[in-house]
Amino acid sequence: MVFLKLAITNLRRHGTRSLLTALGIATSVAVLFSILSFNKGFSKGLARELQRTGIHFMVVPSGCPHEVASLVLHGSVIPKFLNTSVMEKIVSMKDVDFATPILVTQLPNAEKARVDLVYGMEMSRLSAVKPYWEVDGKIPSAVNELMAGSEIASHNNIRKGDLLTYSGVSFKVSGILKKTGSQDDAFIYMPVEALQAILKKPSGATAIGVKVKTPETLAKTTDELAEIVPGIQVVTMNQVMSSISNLAASGKVLSLSIAIITILVSAVGVMNSMLMAVFERTQEIGMMRAIGASRADIFRIILKEAAILTLFGGLSGIAFAVAGSDIIEKFVRKAMPYIPSGSMVDFDPVLAAASLVFVSAVGIISGLYPSWKAAKISPIEAIKG
Amino acid sequence: MIELKGIEKTYLRGSEEVHALKGIDMKISKGEFISIVGPSGSGKTSLLHVLGCLDRPSKGSLLIDGVAVEKMREDELVRIRRKKIGFVFQQFYLMPGLTVFDNIALPLVFSRTAIDKEKIIGAIELLGLKGRIEHYPKQLSGGEMQRVAIARALVNGPEIILADEPTGNLDSENSENIFELLKSLHKNSLTVIMVTHNNDLAARADRTLLLKDGRFPG
Ligand SMILES: Nc1ncnc2c1ncn2[C@@H]1O[C@H](COP(=O)(O)OP(=O)(O)O)[C@@H](O)[C@H]1O
Ligand SMILES: [Mg+2]
Repeated sequence: MVFLKLAITNLRRHGTRSLLTALGIATSVAVLFSILSFNKGFSKGLARELQRTGIHFMVVPSGCPHEVASLVLHGSVIPKFLNTSVMEKIVSMKDVDFATPILVTQLPNAEKARVDLVYGMEMSRLSAVKPYWEVDGKIPSAVNELMAGSEIASHNNIRKGDLLTYSGVSFKVSGILKKTGSQDDAFIYMPVEALQAILKKPSGATAIGVKVKTPETLAKTTDELAEIVPGIQVVTMNQVMSSISNLAASGKVLSLSIAIITILVSAVGVMNSMLMAVFERTQEIGMMRAIGASRADIFRIILKEAAILTLFGGLSGIAFAVAGSDIIEKFVRKAMPYIPSGSMVDFDPVLAAASLVFVSAVGIISGLYPSWKAAKISPIEAIKG
Repeated sequence: MIELKGIEKTYLRGSEEVHALKGIDMKISKGEFISIVGPSGSGKTSLLHVLGCLDRPSKGSLLIDGVAVEKMREDELVRIRRKKIGFVFQQFYLMPGLTVFDNIALPLVFSRTAIDKEKIIGAIELLGLKGRIEHYPKQLSGGEMQRVAIARALVNGPEIILADEPTGNLDSENSENIFELLKSLHKNSLTVIMVTHNNDLAARADRTLLLKDGRFPG
């Protein structure tokens, strides 16, 4: 108890220095904890998205493997088209539940002088493909109706009942897709026939989404399909998710390295701060030896100070990270190419504890040298009477 | 009973050897009150450090209660310091962040002894520090700080008090008080060894030793 009191009062004697050192620790823990939380949220979000997608695999023109991931998760426009006639072959397979064409393109919006991302799909399959979507208004039920994602709608002030014109064709906005938090929010959704007509490709599709009757037959079905239909490529949602994970992995490694470096820098701060404290307290340490402290006691007192400093900094860092998680999430959403829908940064006590344990370990390790220095102080050198 | 036989202490200052103690022989009986005087640099502090097992002699033998301590391991020396010895310094050396009570209790923490609150409070009152228990060192006068330091030196129940110029930073009235306090301790059968520059006070000890250039001449 008295050791603890001693450590705390010693830290408070150099309040500003201790506070700055703790702030360094706090910042690095906040960065580490945020990154760990985000990475975990990202993986969880991906898994969640995978779980609730109504499609098991995508059929795309062969030769576009890299675009597939971004296509499925809506980002890029593939310049090659499939012919929807392959759908017949797909649907005729016994394990296939349904197949639905997807057509993604960019369309100029002449009046508004902008280019919109447009997604054509079978509206009747919408609830099967995107079961978690909620629409304010109606899902388009006629070829001259469309639906806008929440982001594109709010940016361009698109409201239910408005008329939008693409390539001379007018569409009525039947509904607005409620915010999903993913890139889905940036698209215009229209019946695939309407988009095919605009592009003058009556049977064109960027991809065909396929659902099998039972997931167990997935591997068999995709193998068979590759044999029956030439010139296509099959990409399962699992593959898509794992290629997104791979894309994200390098980002994770980089961000974690930055966090680790920050922590090491703040550990040097702890070491410096403690060395200064030891140096300033040479006489006091000598006196404590004279009144019965062993070298190990001195070692422990200084180490305890380092531990308290890092633990205090670490706890503050977690608090900062939690308090700032909304800002961090907004920032990361802007910076990352793909983010699954839903909140990313959830407070996870296990990650908080792991971050604290890690930084405490680093802090204690950086306290070892100053503690050893303190323990080595010769009492007779320190107290010259 | 303390016995020193041919104690020498040599320090290294760079490559130069400094002979601080050049062969000290003396016997100190239990309960004696000894004052040590001598010019600055004559080795008084070095002698106290050896006596207090803070430092090992370079040569010679030191017996405390018949046990040779000069060859003991560090942890054994620590145990002797905790059990048998109390140090009092000229600069008091109180911990500024701790209250009077905690300063006095600090040696108990190091010796892993349970803190007897009543006993410490009793000692504080006996030393005229009543009402100062929760004060911090900077709120005390020099005389009060030295009394706290003496209480701290006594808290482990030592046999020997080593005081290095305990009145060096005090005015004459406070010096007198502190001296009387040390003397009263010795009446309670404690051995007190006090280094001082004050010849009047030194003369009032049982025995006064003059240290000159690391030796007791004559
Ligand atoms: N740690 C040390 N290293 C080197 N020389 C020292 C050390 N401590 C004391 N000395 C030297 O030893 C001599 C005796 O010092 P000291 O015991 O402090 O004398 P006093 O207390 O009588 O003034 C002095 O010359 C001093 O400079
Ligand atoms: Mg001296």
